[in-house]
Amino acid sequence: MGLTDRVRQYRNLPGFLQASLNPWLIKARNNPERLAFVLHRVTGFTVLLYLFLHIIVTNTPARAGWEAWDSLMEAFGAALFNKVGEFIIAGFVIFHGMNGIRLLLTEFFGVCIGKPEKPKPPYIPPSFKACQRRLLYLVFALWPILWAIAGYIIFKG
Amino acid sequence: MAIADLKAATRIPPKLVTIRVKRWSPTKGKVEWREYQVETYRGMTVLEALLKVKAEKDHTLSMRYSCRMGVCGSCGMVINGVPRLACQTQIAEVASESNPVITIEPLYNHPVIRDLATDFNPFFGKHASVKPYLIRKDIEEREGPTGEYILKPEELENIYQFSLCISCGLCYSACPVAASDPEYLGPQALAQALRFIIDPRDEDPNTRIAVVDSEHGCHRCHYAATCSAVCPKAVDPAMAIQMLRSIVFRHRLGFWRKRTSKPAEKPKEWQPKKPMPPEAQTIPGVDLEQMEKEPVIVEVDGIKVEIDYKFYKIR
Amino acid sequence: MARTWTMQFLQYVTAILLIVLLSFHLAERIPWITGISYHESLKSERVADAYSSYGWVLLLLAYAALFHGLNGFRGMLHEWKPRHGRLWDLVFIILFLVFAGIATYTVVGLPPLP
Repeated sequence: MGLTDRVRQYRNLPGFLQASLNPWLIKARNNPERLAFVLHRVTGFTVLLYLFLHIIVTNTPARAGWEAWDSLMEAFGAALFNKVGEFIIAGFVIFHGMNGIRLLLTEFFGVCIGKPEKPKPPYIPPSFKACQRRLLYLVFALWPILWAIAGYIIFKG
Repeated sequence: MAIADLKAATRIPPKLVTIRVKRWSPTKGKVEWREYQVETYRGMTVLEALLKVKAEKDHTLSMRYSCRMGVCGSCGMVINGVPRLACQTQIAEVASESNPVITIEPLYNHPVIRDLATDFNPFFGKHASVKPYLIRKDIEEREGPTGEYILKPEELENIYQFSLCISCGLCYSACPVAASDPEYLGPQALAQALRFIIDPRDEDPNTRIAVVDSEHGCHRCHYAATCSAVCPKAVDPAMAIQMLRSIVFRHRLGFWRKRTSKPAEKPKEWQPKKPMPPEAQTIPGVDLEQMEKEPVIVEVDGIKVEIDYKFYKIR
Repeated sequence: MARTWTMQFLQYVTAILLIVLLSFHLAERIPWITGISYHESLKSERVADAYSSYGWVLLLLAYAALFHGLNGFRGMLHEWKPRHGRLWDLVFIILFLVFAGIATYTVVGLPPLP
């Protein structure tokens, strides 16, 4: 038991919601990875909720027959609210997938993160100069384009 | 943050800055914000401003600092929302004429003892849990070494960057996972684990991989990379954790084997210098026999010095 | 729970699976690939055809997506309240079994077209 264990302390934790939802909790410069992390988490969680709903809805033919399925799809196609929801989910899936490819490369295969080097000022971390950063910018650039295409498909019906 | 603005120290900061400090005292048990006006000078750091406040305005302001030159890693604090070393941060870098307010908070994710002083016991405990020292199988050899362990320059290049860590806790304070999970090992400990796992002089990576490959180990990292963005010593923990994770996978699947180096051979014992062999060469133009007969005496500042002819002998 | 690295390894393996399977699943709805409109592709004949000819692909997709999503969620819960590790592992297992059961029933218990 250390000395400080007996003293009352102030737990200075920003907490789970702050850390997961606020990309500007730490106002560090040159750090779009943090924004990508927050977006990845938010999109992943939303898509998981959609997946639950999707599995229950696609169970309709087995549960209530094909007529129920057709009438349900008619109702979904008619309501704008559902279309907007579908559009949002499509965009989230697109971001999560593209950023997921980048994370697979960096986290699983350990490539695209640069090599340790002897640091020289002005210092930029090697992983910020590596190709994962270019991939990240590519993800941010492609995302609105693909989302717009998905929107065109969904709203045109 | 590594010093982003190298010329900040040459600029003149605003004459009067307001320092807002988030204070907490264990007796009161509540957080309060206090403001202090400080007169500045060119080249003033945030730590110097805080010490000026402590000396002239409020003696109860508590903080931890030691070397004042970015080596000891004691004075980490959150300055304008970014974890930084107060001694490395120029007032001119964080305050401007239009916005002369500097907000200072204690480091996030560390328990606060008082004001800006944070408790590093849990943090150092995590560092110790990854065994940040060389482990050899031959304990007798380790305790009484007969020679150095060999480390090639290219192998040094791999670990050099991670060995610059000064344990200032800024990366841990910036980490979004550590912000909610106090059991997470943190970027500093994981980077040090990698530094010893890939060090060829170390022979026991398995123990460290077992520590790191846990529910609150390297798999909790999600590559937000803020740790690398705020590191004052160019360590790049984000890269280290990704390298560590791929090493863990390869090790568990049996594709990764550690390369270790043997101790260098025992050096030959020192032997006294042998006398010169008769065939030793002399500098051209020097007659040794003549010099033996008539020693050369040179007078320097009234002191007579005999020049030893052996001095001229070369091998 | 299984060893941590196994779960994380499966997380990445399912991610690779999902890139392939989900691209295929989304391509089923793109009119320029299938030749019919988005709304048309959701009609019962098309869906029944898909289930009967490559239902196992969709089932594999459902399992992979469930594992990937729920394991990510489990990690979030571990971060949120690290003390309750066992409880979150249990939540993961229960949710996975329930929704995997529903997904299996969707493909196995499919009625014939009217």
